Amino acid sequence: MENNNIPVEETVTDEIDMNDPSLFEMAIADDSESEHITAPVYSYWGSVFRRFFSSKIAIAMMIVAATIILFAFIQPMFSNYSPMVAPNINNKSMHYIRPFKMAGYPFGTDDVGNSLFDALWAGTKNSLIIALVSTLICEVVGIIVGMFWGFSKKVDAVMIEVYNVLSNIPTTLIAMILVYTMGGGFAQLIFALCVTSWIGTAYFIRVQVMIIRDREYNLASQCLGTPTWKIIINNIFPYLISVIITSVSRDVPSFISYEVALSFMGVGISQEYASLGRMVQKYAAYMTTASYLFWIPVATSAVICVSLYIVGQVLADASDPRTHMV
Amino acid sequence: MKDPILSVKNIEVKFKVRDRVLTAIRNISLDFEEHKVVAIVGESGSGKSVFTKTFTGMLDLNGEVTQGEIWFEGKNLCEFKTDAEWEQIRGKKIATVFQDPMTSLNPVRTIGYQISEVIIKHQGKSKAEAKKEAIELMEKVGIRDAERRYDEYPFMYSGGMRQRIVIAIALACHPKILICDEPTTALDVTIQAQIIKLIKDLAKEYDFTTIYITHDLGVVANVADNVAVMYGGQIIEYGTVEDIFYDSRHPYTWGLLSSLPQLGLKGEKLFAIRGTPPSLFNKIQGDAFAPRSNYAMKIDFLKEPPVFHVSDTHWAKTWLLDPRAPKVEKPEAIRDLHERMVELTKKGGTYGKR
Amino acid sequence: MAKYILTRIVKACLSIFVVVSIVIVMLFTMIPRTKVMDLDTSYRKMTGDNKTVYRLMRYDQLGYLDYVRLSDMCKSEYDDVTACMINGSTENKAVIEKYESNGYVIEYLRNGTAYGYHDYNILELVWNFWSNLIVVDNVNAVQDENNPDLERKIYIGTDYNGVPAVMGSGTTHKYLIYFDSTFPFIHQNWITFNFGISYPTKAGSLTTDVINEGQGAQVSILQTFPTGVEMESPYNQHTAKYKYTLDHLDMQKFNDNYADCTSYYESPSMVNTSYIFGIISLIIAYVVALPAGMSMARNKDQLIDKIGVVFINVVIAMPSLALIFFIRQIGANFGLPDKFPLLGFKDIRSYIVPMIILAVLSMPSLMTWMRRYMIDQSNSDYVKFARAKGLSQREIFSKHIMKNAIIPIVNGIPASVILCISGALITESAFAIPGMGKMLPDAISKMNNNMVITLTFIFAALSIFSILIGDLLMVVVDPRIQLATKKGGKKNGK
Repeated sequence: MENNNIPVEETVTDEIDMNDPSLFEMAIADDSESEHITAPVYSYWGSVFRRFFSSKIAIAMMIVAATIILFAFIQPMFSNYSPMVAPNINNKSMHYIRPFKMAGYPFGTDDVGNSLFDALWAGTKNSLIIALVSTLICEVVGIIVGMFWGFSKKVDAVMIEVYNVLSNIPTTLIAMILVYTMGGGFAQLIFALCVTSWIGTAYFIRVQVMIIRDREYNLASQCLGTPTWKIIINNIFPYLISVIITSVSRDVPSFISYEVALSFMGVGISQEYASLGRMVQKYAAYMTTASYLFWIPVATSAVICVSLYIVGQVLADASDPRTHMV
Repeated sequence: MKDPILSVKNIEVKFKVRDRVLTAIRNISLDFEEHKVVAIVGESGSGKSVFTKTFTGMLDLNGEVTQGEIWFEGKNLCEFKTDAEWEQIRGKKIATVFQDPMTSLNPVRTIGYQISEVIIKHQGKSKAEAKKEAIELMEKVGIRDAERRYDEYPFMYSGGMRQRIVIAIALACHPKILICDEPTTALDVTIQAQIIKLIKDLAKEYDFTTIYITHDLGVVANVADNVAVMYGGQIIEYGTVEDIFYDSRHPYTWGLLSSLPQLGLKGEKLFAIRGTPPSLFNKIQGDAFAPRSNYAMKIDFLKEPPVFHVSDTHWAKTWLLDPRAPKVEKPEAIRDLHERMVELTKKGGTYGKR
Repeated sequence: MAKYILTRIVKACLSIFVVVSIVIVMLFTMIPRTKVMDLDTSYRKMTGDNKTVYRLMRYDQLGYLDYVRLSDMCKSEYDDVTACMINGSTENKAVIEKYESNGYVIEYLRNGTAYGYHDYNILELVWNFWSNLIVVDNVNAVQDENNPDLERKIYIGTDYNGVPAVMGSGTTHKYLIYFDSTFPFIHQNWITFNFGISYPTKAGSLTTDVINEGQGAQVSILQTFPTGVEMESPYNQHTAKYKYTLDHLDMQKFNDNYADCTSYYESPSMVNTSYIFGIISLIIAYVVALPAGMSMARNKDQLIDKIGVVFINVVIAMPSLALIFFIRQIGANFGLPDKFPLLGFKDIRSYIVPMIILAVLSMPSLMTWMRRYMIDQSNSDYVKFARAKGLSQREIFSKHIMKNAIIPIVNGIPASVILCISGALITESAFAIPGMGKMLPDAISKMNNNMVITLTFIFAALSIFSILIGDLLMVVVDPRIQLATKKGGKKNGK
């Protein structure tokens, strides 16, 4: 019986003349060809931007977020809005103008005749400043502490206990107590928001540093005599960028959210400042009579948070070198 | 020759990876004879594991057998659609032992549970019967004090012991074929020999056909009856273990054999095949090995070599076997392989009579 | 194992101690104490000495300072206080001098009578709080000059229903351990917490009573009193405490001094309200989020997964307040009340929207966990091997993956509880639900410091102990963890 292990013979393609003896001359490929890598030239930031801009949602959200941020920082310069000033307070006809009814008051006016449009942008600006400054503080403190925490075993032993105490208490609770005791100024509110949040960031960085630090490729670099600073800059930092962006993209919306919630419960920023939370709290009373006063700031806070969060998440994803393979 | 227990005809496997198609298996045909041990060798990425996974329908979700047939017990496995059909084969008729025993077992289930589960499922036995049989199996694979260790968790076992358990689970239903996917790679050298011997002994007792996937030619020499050498998704040479070791014809097989570190003589440079394996994303033209071969001809870059028979049991896919090809000698290092092996065994080792 | 649990409990208590102590110091030192009195209407109406004395008495009650009247000073030195009570007498001067040298500030009323007070420093504040926190009832708890023959004993008797109970005489509470038909059926008054008094809202009541007592209208039930009188009364006799001055009505019902009872109310207390919302919404969250996370993992990158991812991102990103009001508005469109008191405790519709909101707030983290975990597990070697064994997808899922998945589920419980507390703070305010969550902002706006401390303590204790319980449950579900041998360790290595 014939051996069955015979693959079916391929049909010979016509283009090659099998009788050409030169086909059977030795033709050894040179090394460079067999070692050739077909991947295109790689650039980290180039890849980050390419990946980021390949997401249509991210681009749309970035435009939304950028528009809101620009408006929030530019418009109040012209309006000079302050919640403590009410030029139209005695002119009853100027109160409760509905949105899009009168030129110059696109979002209408509130209970004392102030333009909701002006109030909204002034409030958005302050809420954004609070969120951005708090994020900056938390990230800077968190990253520095997290680095030491991740690298040193001694620091770890102490910090893990501090972490256990601080992280177990709801942030809202701590922030409420702090604003209550210290008062509702800008600085106090930012302090109240940061005082426990930084440790979350630090813990996050610590875990990442620990993971990366012990990766084989870093040990290998170390064995090959690469100086520590080079390892940090070339191996650890690119990895941390995406981790930090992830953390920032969570922080900014959550701080805006905290500001809104605290102010709503009456323990946020004090009355002389406009803020989204203050507006929500102040206008909640008019929910049934003039609901636009309430819903416009609520919706604005939601749009800012969601757009910033999505931009941050996509950017974090794009800045992770592991996603650059395709 | 008897009818083969498993017959693979012209199969092709494709994977979809991030919108690109990768051809992992390119037109392989092979018959597996009952009771013979077949070793599939080749470097990483040559498609060894993918090839055997098609026998049990274990391809990852993005992979698919795009053409060909796999005949087993009168059924074409490629026509299976549902998991229910596959469950009649997997574990029951064709069992697999994976590479890493450390992760093959569920960490939060007891050893006993994981063995008797299969017995209950495939043989429909009661819990008590299954337990009795599981303990017997554990003793068979060399677990001492099996009764007590039945209720222990995997983390309480060493790597070698876990691999014994994995083998016990694989054999729990008396399969016809046992696929051993690099069963010893993750183990200590000292344990490797024990596990190999265990599988060999059990193959006799339980009467199954073994398919080894390995890149350890030492293991091949030790256990295999037939050897299939894979490269770039194809079997490029097939023969008995003697054919492959002493009369190999494909330049890749030569390279593979020359790379055995044991063959290196003091003062000689160790041999290595230059270059890297081909990317399976691209269409491969000619002989996939040509760019790395020291014996490549022009035709190797143009046209895929057909099968050339060396003997009844031995064939290879290389243009060097074409009558028009120039006569080439295989590398010096493996020309007197037999003598070298005998020489090596004198110093101790496990080569020779199986 | 026991040692590990013990150290964990000690650490948990230490965490609570640190947090609450810091809060105490902050509240007592950073909030101007004059502001505390601002909201007391009766105080504002007072003038002259009355005002001064009232203020000092309040501060003393609230724990800011130790206020001593002349009679107190004299009593501490002399058995016969008549001489001492005369302004300008030698005894009088001596006692004043003594108090002054002990750090008391001595001032005089218009009639020349001296009084003194001593501001507590930080350490004293903290010490006073913690040393008075736990009250163990004992037979010498009651010291009543008018009742010298009070029997002093603890005995097993029967309550007014004839059910056996551990009872006391000379103790503050009459019933120390008793049984009744309400959960958890066995109750005790032996060990109680004392967080001080509430002020200015519900002035004079213990904060624990304020949050533990029922709300709404009192409910009268027919019951027999110790004198044999049978009548409809809202009194809960099990809560009877020693009453120093009995009135006519008390004597009609009781034949001893244990006549100070709390009442039955139609609505649950603040604590219970919060628990009801918290527990049910947590259950809803788990019941919905876990299967949702699983089906997302099973259909990765398909429509259901994408919808789920959008849901998770929106809920995480959106300010919780905005989310709460959006859902509230949707509920209102279906005719559900947008304020809890509109329909009140008795109507089930009051509960639906707040519970959904609390559940939605805890769901994203659970869903993400579950999805991530299921995907990781399905790619793991043991699942592949289980497939190779010939098990069906369903079997692999129910017998292998689920057993592993319970571990992170259990691990996630503490985080859910903490989220639930945070969520409750805002949700209860938004819906005006009379629970602890709304109580905290209310207490803050009324400067009710003791109440703030009480609530901080309860929330902190709940969070910390839920983490402890989560960790202990892990030992039960994960055979690999043996707490006795190791601590800290490489948890994230797995």
